[in-house]
Amino acid sequence: VSERPVDISVLRSDIRDAIRLERNADGGWAYYSGKRSRIEPTCWALLALGQAETIAPDFDVLRRWPRKGGWLIETVGTPPNHAFNAIAALTLLHSPSDVALAEPIVRLLSASKGLRLPPDPIVRLDSSLQAWSWVDGAPSWVEPTAWCVLLLRHLTARRPNPEAAERIRVGEQMLADRACRDGGWNYGNSNVYGQDLPPYVPTTALALLALQGRRIDAVVRGLERLERDVFTERSVMALSLAVICLRIYGRRTAVPEEQLKTLLSARDVKAGLNDDLLGLAMALYALSDPPLTALTLGAAA
Amino acid sequence: MKASHRSGGHELSRRHFLAAVSLPLLAPACLWRPYDAGSFPVPERSSVGLFPATDYATDFADLVYRGFRELGANVTGRRVFLKPNMVEYEPGTAINTHPHLIAGTAIACRRSGASEVVIGEGPGHRRDIEYLLSATGLADQVREQRIRFVDLNHDDVQMVRLKSWFTGMRELALPVELLESDFIISMPKLKTHHWAGMTCSMKNLFGTVPGAVYGWPKNVLHLHGIPNSIVDLVATIRPHFTIVDAVTAMEGDGPIMGRPRTLGFVAMGSDLVAVDATCARVIGLDPAKIDYLRAASRFLGVSDSGRIDHRGESPSRYATQFDIVDALKPLRLTTQLLVG
Repeated sequence: VSERPVDISVLRSDIRDAIRLERNADGGWAYYSGKRSRIEPTCWALLALGQAETIAPDFDVLRRWPRKGGWLIETVGTPPNHAFNAIAALTLLHSPSDVALAEPIVRLLSASKGLRLPPDPIVRLDSSLQAWSWVDGAPSWVEPTAWCVLLLRHLTARRPNPEAAERIRVGEQMLADRACRDGGWNYGNSNVYGQDLPPYVPTTALALLALQGRRIDAVVRGLERLERDVFTERSVMALSLAVICLRIYGRRTAVPEEQLKTLLSARDVKAGLNDDLLGLAMALYALSDPPLTALTLGAAA
Repeated sequence: MKASHRSGGHELSRRHFLAAVSLPLLAPACLWRPYDAGSFPVPERSSVGLFPATDYATDFADLVYRGFRELGANVTGRRVFLKPNMVEYEPGTAINTHPHLIAGTAIACRRSGASEVVIGEGPGHRRDIEYLLSATGLADQVREQRIRFVDLNHDDVQMVRLKSWFTGMRELALPVELLESDFIISMPKLKTHHWAGMTCSMKNLFGTVPGAVYGWPKNVLHLHGIPNSIVDLVATIRPHFTIVDAVTAMEGDGPIMGRPRTLGFVAMGSDLVAVDATCARVIGLDPAKIDYLRAASRFLGVSDSGRIDHRGESPSRYATQFDIVDALKPLRLTTQLLVG
């Protein structure tokens, strides 16, 4: 690991170049270099480039993305992924000419509910709360719920909608219910067979993004936990999401930002950072100048 | 038979959700078979090797190389895919296949003439593979040995027709890197499992199912029954070999929250059913009472101890009784039936 201070403008420029270089011929990005374009890294790359560049990125890839029944789909035969469709809709909302393209996805997500299960002593959660599952016909989990709540809160801030407001209420209630005992979130189980399970930094950051502005205990304890765990869970994904979240919450980010820069510099950025394009895009977004508009909710939300 | 469930007002009990979908496993063999028996020739006898390894300072490259020779595993010219178990990280626990065993296996494969060795895993709870690789120490081994690691959760996928239909599913998305390999080695950690009874070489294949398609956790497998999913995955992927980390295993509330328990061996074999059945007996569980092993023994391999030839050490050397959660106590062996 280099001991030299990292020049942020050089690092940002290197990451931007690497992301541009790794764009597939169809205009999208894969999770890893040389692979097929996928929804999630494509959206993060578009958001990051949109944040980091003066020229708006080309959203054409999302306009042309294969759809089935209104959902954006990846490989033929795979089920629509609710979390990634929510990210796509959120991305389209930030391309003024493409807002209409987000509407069918929003309608589908608004109608989609996680499977309801009766109480079970084995797992400590309220499984009657129908938030969002990853795919149809499955129970609700933290990550898809966080993305869908964030999306609907963006939309209702622009245009009030009672039905969406009710889905947001249930989604937020579900997130609060799934919080780990000592704060933070993992994938969505806080306790199994009486054993408390630990939170993860990425899912904690995403849940907190969805709960921006909410003065509830889960947010207070989640933030405390994130500020503590960000120093132990070292990865580009964890540090990037933590920095994004802490910046949006107005917390100090100097140390995790420095750690992120060091981690990125330890990789050979120009060689593609071990080909992790999703991590690269998250990092570029995290290290961009404020405001991080796509993921920040205003007071109206 | 598949459980029906809707995302609206329909309620489904969690136990039904996780367990009762295993009905095909309980169906009498004379009724409908959810597989084409002609496609699955079961050997008359199978060999299982148990090789002593008192700790993780063992020369695993040598141990695995000897195991390959004794058990007739031929990786010459093959693109070998190592699928370890790396599901979560907690300091001081025994959740994951030890990196030294994984690296030793990679070296043994190269020494045996493999054209390429790739390691791949798709953790079922965490998406952050960089963190897991680093925390578990596998990143250091991958770097030192210059082995390519594939994140199975985020790899390109292909829809694959299942070769048995216990789940009721006809196809499933699987990672392209796995499908393009020509010698797959399942490398589990031997652990109790609070839903399935035990997790070993067969259950380990849950980590091949891509999270970026089905989510975290991989509910498609739970929705169709964990035992059903295990059998369908093994029937479809058909790993060529397994190397089980039973140096330090896990008892109690596995696969995450259990306690480390030293056993001191590495199990190997090309018949995953035989290896898992042997490991079950070693830890005091009856393979005939573990749903997925009972179903798999009908068409995927041998579980009857009388048809298993042992190489290396006798299972009786390691025989013990693992602590298990109350719900699994009916799975215990009623007699110590290990064959020496």
